[in-house]
Amino acid sequence: MSEQYPAHADLPSSLQELILDTIEHRGQTQLSCKAPDHRSLLENFRHQQGYDFLVDVTAIDYLGKDTLERFEVVYVLRRRGARPDQFRLHVWLGESDPTLSSVVDLWDSARWGERETHDMFGIVFEGNPDLRRLLMPEDFPAFPLLKDYPLTGRGERRQFPRVVPRGDRMVEEEPTDYPTSIGRGMHTPEYIEEVERDSKPRE
Amino acid sequence: MTPSPASEGRDTPVPTAKTLEKELAKGWRDYRSGISSSSAVQIVEEEGDGKLVMNFGPQHPATHGTLRSIFTLEGETITEADVEIGFLHTGFEKLGENLTYQQWVTVSDRMNYLSAINNNVGYSVAVEDLLGLEVPPRCAALRVIMSEISRIADHILCVGLQGMDLGAFSIMLWAFEKRELIYDIIEAVCGARLTTSWTRVGGIIRDVPEFFPDLVYSFLDEFPPLIDEIHTMLLNNKIFVDRVKDIGIVSEEDARSWGLSGPVARASGLDMDVRRDMPYLGYEQYDFKVPLQTEGDCFSRYMQRMEEIEQSLEIIRQAMATLPDGPVVHDDFKTSLPTKDAVHNDMESLIHHFKLVMLGHGIQPEPGASIYSATEAPCGELGYFLCSDGTDTAYRLRVRPPSLYNYAIFPRVVEGGMLSDAVAILSSFHVIAGELDR
Repeated sequence: MSEQYPAHADLPSSLQELILDTIEHRGQTQLSCKAPDHRSLLENFRHQQGYDFLVDVTAIDYLGKDTLERFEVVYVLRRRGARPDQFRLHVWLGESDPTLSSVVDLWDSARWGERETHDMFGIVFEGNPDLRRLLMPEDFPAFPLLKDYPLTGRGERRQFPRVVPRGDRMVEEEPTDYPTSIGRGMHTPEYIEEVERDSKPRE
Repeated sequence: MTPSPASEGRDTPVPTAKTLEKELAKGWRDYRSGISSSSAVQIVEEEGDGKLVMNFGPQHPATHGTLRSIFTLEGETITEADVEIGFLHTGFEKLGENLTYQQWVTVSDRMNYLSAINNNVGYSVAVEDLLGLEVPPRCAALRVIMSEISRIADHILCVGLQGMDLGAFSIMLWAFEKRELIYDIIEAVCGARLTTSWTRVGGIIRDVPEFFPDLVYSFLDEFPPLIDEIHTMLLNNKIFVDRVKDIGIVSEEDARSWGLSGPVARASGLDMDVRRDMPYLGYEQYDFKVPLQTEGDCFSRYMQRMEEIEQSLEIIRQAMATLPDGPVVHDDFKTSLPTKDAVHNDMESLIHHFKLVMLGHGIQPEPGASIYSATEAPCGELGYFLCSDGTDTAYRLRVRPPSLYNYAIFPRVVEGGMLSDAVAILSSFHVIAGELDR
């Protein structure tokens, strides 16, 4: 679909300049731009070019990779009708201030899409009226899809206060921290090191 | 403990750990975990102005899963609604960054557990898109047949539960009886009933058994009378019709803007079906219609699902008539797991299998490649965004669950309606918590 009507062909030249890169892969178009510029691009796509369906909002964390910035926020846009098309806009976002303007006023589906991206990556969407945590508890102290967050967690599960019945009252119990081996990540460097160490011939 | 930056300055106050503390100090029962609750619906707080804040779920039979809604009531009218999700959050996306491409197939079962095969197929199609693999025609046709069978199971269960929630209990029992035929087929092709893990990247586990056509054809004979039976039973039921007609209206404009998909969107007149618009697995060879409704109320969503069942039956008939022979796994064994028969009897296949399942030796797409691949699951558009860094695990695996975007509009739809309508609306949206929370 995207081969026939390339997404960025109709952009005015002032907006064309904002696009850093265009990648075609397996028939899909991927545009990329920097953080504050995405707003004017998305406004143009929504109002001038009729991309009326925001399929998804998500992000990628490139911690420790040699990339332009640490985060990439991904918007998947689609239009139907006479010129159907679908493409992705990747927005580079710096680690020092992971804030970018929301597109809730353009598509309502961004409400929960941005909420989940905020919940998982800590990216703040300015202008989203309801940027609460979506999947994690309100008082969860971390953003779990960041690459520096371990698969097993940091023990938050055992740190939540438990509320238990005592007689006819509900009492908050002290959190108990106990060691566990459940869910040890197979792909952590420590595990691979351990496997390599064990597989060496003993003397 | 750093609070999230967004928790300050929001509009509607929702219960937090701090308000919970206050409640406890006042001697209120814990409304958050639901321990010691004698009833599933709990009245949390009575405000001075005659408004009542009511907690609906997460453990309530009408929520069909762990969905929690907080309604502010004036009399029986919902003036304000808010939802809290995430009770089943299991970190599937994080697991996707730690499991190999083949291993994650088993995780995809657990999303929409009512139609696990559609999740398996969607995920396998996504990874195959990323690799540029095309599965053999027999595999594609079998995947289509099983996806549609699974779609029927999902839709018929939804209709049954919709009936059950509104007092027509026999519908659910009839639906379950015929659903058993479907589960027999699923059991025959993959051995499991619920968590199927049927597909592999580049194919399926094994070819279907010899009696598979008999099972499917007897299903095609026995199932269609149920559609008329349910229609007769429900459309002549005044209570049911009154409780779903003109209730929970979603306009086409809203459906588009809020990103709804699947039967919920098409019931509002949003003409969108991934099977027709962006065909995968050769859906373009089958002749089927995409039904559309216009009203966008609970009744349209019921009719939409029933009409989609008929179209699915049509696709199954066509696919069974033209089911090709041949292999069911792609013959590039550098990326596709050979079938178990071959592994047990053939040296090369054993080596290929071994290399594929070994850590660091599995499927390795080219670094930097990323893809968004969508399939039509029973609830709507199930999308996978995959990003590869050249290793055998995905660098980023994002699931675009249809239920998440469908459910986002729910608080808006129930506002202004009656409390009992919320139950009717929720069952017509058919939100699966496993997929919603992942």
